[in-house]
Amino acid sequence: MSRHYEVMVILDPSLDERTVAPTLENFLKVIRNAGGSVENVDIWGRRRLSYEINKNAEGIYAVLELISEPDDVKELDRQLSLQETVLRTKVVRRQEVRGAKRAAKIAAKA
Amino acid sequence: MKPAPQKRRKRNLLRAEGVEHVDWKDTALLREFLSDRGKIRARRITGLTPAEQKDVARAIKNAREMALLPYPVKKG
Repeated sequence: MSRHYEVMVILDPSLDERTVAPTLENFLKVIRNAGGSVENVDIWGRRRLSYEINKNAEGIYAVLELISEPDDVKELDRQLSLQETVLRTKVVRRQEVRGAKRAAKIAAKA
Repeated sequence: MKPAPQKRRKRNLLRAEGVEHVDWKDTALLREFLSDRGKIRARRITGLTPAEQKDVARAIKNAREMALLPYPVKKG
């Protein structure tokens, strides 16, 4: 079953911000080739970290929104975290708004 | 013992801002729920419902992992 995921990536600040989009695109092939879809790629750009990560005070943030199979996201996450320029990643399921499920059920019944 | 005086209980829910869904990327909002030291404010201060407090806490912890928010700092 395909699910809606949000993947946040923190990249090394020494990278050129212009190269970020193409690099990420390269990784997103994993999702695309597996039949998932990339809904949105949001590059926040350079941002101060709340605490140092690997001696870096800054990081380049990017948020990817995908619809894909769980295993494909796992593979994407694995490949990203192998990269030395990736400081950190986080995969989060897009949460439904509280009560949305129940509302849908009620609507379906009616 | 006398009952403790009402201490700056907010009770504003911050739902006053019309937030239906707590987003862990919304650091400006989440910062409202942190003390100066970076601790998560107790429900008796925030005035949130248990479910809302849980959502906020979860969101803050996610944000901390991504260095969007600070971890609590010990002082003194």
